[in-house]
Amino acid sequence: MSTLNRKRLSRSDAAALQADLDAVRDDVFASLGEKDVAHIRRMIRRARGSAIAGRAMIGLGFDPLTFVAGVAALAHAKIVENMEIGHNVMHGQYDWTNDPALNSQRYEWDNVCDAGMWRHFHNYEHHTYTNILGKDRDFGYTILRMSDAQKWHPFFALQPVWNAILALAFEFGVGGHDIGAERLLDGRMSWQEFKARSKPFHKKIRKQLIKDYVLFPLLTFWNAPRVLLANLLANLIRNLWSYAIIFCGHFPEGTQVFSEADSEHETRGDWYYRQLCGSANIEGGRAFHILSGHLSHQIEHHLFPDMPAHRYAEIAPRVEAICAKYGIAYNTASFWRQYGTVLGKVFRHALPSRRTAPVLAET
Amino acid sequence: MPISPSRFRDHAARLLRASWLHPLNDTDALNDLLALANPRWSLTEIRAEVIGREPQTADAVSLWLRANRLWKGFRAGQHVPISVEIDGVRETRVYSLSCDPAVPGLLTLTVKRQKDGRVSNWLHDHLRVGDIVTLGDAGGDFVLPDDCGPVLLLSAGSGITPMLALLHELRARHRAGRFAHDVRLVHVCRDAGDQIFASELRELARDWPALRITHWHSADQGRPTPDALLATVADHSERDTWLCGPAAFMAGIETHWREKSCAGTLHLERFGAAPQRLEGGEAAEVRCARSERVFNTEAGEALLPAAERAGLNPAYGCRIGVCRTCLCHKRSGTVENLVTGERSGNGDEWIRLCVSTPRSDLELDL
Repeated sequence: MSTLNRKRLSRSDAAALQADLDAVRDDVFASLGEKDVAHIRRMIRRARGSAIAGRAMIGLGFDPLTFVAGVAALAHAKIVENMEIGHNVMHGQYDWTNDPALNSQRYEWDNVCDAGMWRHFHNYEHHTYTNILGKDRDFGYTILRMSDAQKWHPFFALQPVWNAILALAFEFGVGGHDIGAERLLDGRMSWQEFKARSKPFHKKIRKQLIKDYVLFPLLTFWNAPRVLLANLLANLIRNLWSYAIIFCGHFPEGTQVFSEADSEHETRGDWYYRQLCGSANIEGGRAFHILSGHLSHQIEHHLFPDMPAHRYAEIAPRVEAICAKYGIAYNTASFWRQYGTVLGKVFRHALPSRRTAPVLAET
Repeated sequence: MPISPSRFRDHAARLLRASWLHPLNDTDALNDLLALANPRWSLTEIRAEVIGREPQTADAVSLWLRANRLWKGFRAGQHVPISVEIDGVRETRVYSLSCDPAVPGLLTLTVKRQKDGRVSNWLHDHLRVGDIVTLGDAGGDFVLPDDCGPVLLLSAGSGITPMLALLHELRARHRAGRFAHDVRLVHVCRDAGDQIFASELRELARDWPALRITHWHSADQGRPTPDALLATVADHSERDTWLCGPAAFMAGIETHWREKSCAGTLHLERFGAAPQRLEGGEAAEVRCARSERVFNTEAGEALLPAAERAGLNPAYGCRIGVCRTCLCHKRSGTVENLVTGERSGNGDEWIRLCVSTPRSDLELDL
């Protein structure tokens, strides 16, 4: 029997919510076809074209103008590839096409996070146990305290600094996440296990470093320092962008956290409810949604992680109406509002506070 | 020192796999670029252009394809997987090749409309001359041994398709003086209008007296019993025989062959959908180790449709146990092959999801 607080969602509402959201899902999945494949292939061409143009301007140009334009084009390529293509393909959103180039198990993206490790901690852990403290290691990424329901530790006093470092090196934070280094520190993991778990991460770092800091600088060796710097900048821009978008997914004001006890024996209706309460959207135009990999529709993404993401905008009004029907807050606002409250939490929760129980907590 | 072409190919293949060259050797990207220049070009895929279509009967059409240089050729009697994209979904089916294997690069296959067949109907209604399809390597052991005695080819319906390739091969051997025996072809179809390759067969028989063709038109003569059909070839039991046609037709001949203890070897080529379900199979629970999911199969059902119903998306191709795209590693449990009836062991092994039904609870790497 589900242990979710009945005051939050009655059993009959949980069942009705499940049926309503399943109907939304079924409508979209019944209409998948050529236009969805055309969209993702257009994105692949866009990312590739942008990468080629960017790398050509960086490697062959001499003036500051091509440098700036080249960095912008390469950063744009990496953002589109990581967010709209990689993240979504690796979620299995296009597995139904049966095209090996769009297969979630085969795809490898352009950053230091190994695809296999990501599929485990993100697809499985984060999407299954979203916002359950102690189970969803994405909540604060084990280095930030983002809710009163998390226990304070002196380490968190400097968390504005940790936050800035994570933002700049976001791909490394994501890449190392699955190793679970915090278990090494508190003695629950041996050094051997740590080394074994780190292996795919090390391999992927090596591959990425060779590409951006050896291969391409050498290809246009007379321009090597310029290429090196430009690639570093493009990676930094991509890191900052993906950090900002992803932090707006589950941490803005109004998103809720859960305890393990809340989620025992939960039904799919309960699970949908937890995803709705734990996620937040960012408002914007179509171009912005694409650059965010449609994570600006984090709520829809968390309800239907394997639905082709470019469909989220079309179902958003239906999801919002369903939320209104069951009295569930549909958390959506501008980027600056959402990110502002995230930053506020980073500073606020750096200081010790009275610990609240997650089941009632409004973080 | 000049490098030999094969050494060059080895070097090129190694560079295509080298991780330090990424993304310059991203084959998906390079293939897309090549396809812009010429849609048949690819580094990894056998892409073929449709260069001709010819209706054979009211519900069968022959397609002529010109493959790119990755096509390795085939032996007469073999089949080839062909992939097309239908409304965004890549679908693969397997068809027998009918052409002369001695003519390089040019392929012929014949597609009969299947009731509710997604691919066969699409090929009939939408595939145009100039379109590009993707092929796999040819496969199958429905081929002629190097040295054969008198031959009997027995086919029904579209079972004639591999027979035409076998006839091309036999005639080539005959002309080269490597085959001196006679050949009998016995073919069953509804009526003369339902005859695939009627003109090709006439042509072959005209200047090759050792070939004798017997037609059985079931509209006039009724559906043949194995005894009646085989009675048209008096010495059939001594002949090496190649058999291809609908499942029931083949089962009848097979039984006859066994009961009469015929001396000649019987070669079989099965086509069409595998049996969807195993009679007397049992429902089972399947644990998927990679996705950490569990799903249930209905009694006698293949694993692939059960997994898809559970929302999993395993890779698949032909769905009839030919192409091996859905190969999956089984960690434990027993399965039965729906085509051959073979039982697997209980432990680690590779199975094809589309033709395997559980005989116990399973654990898969899925």
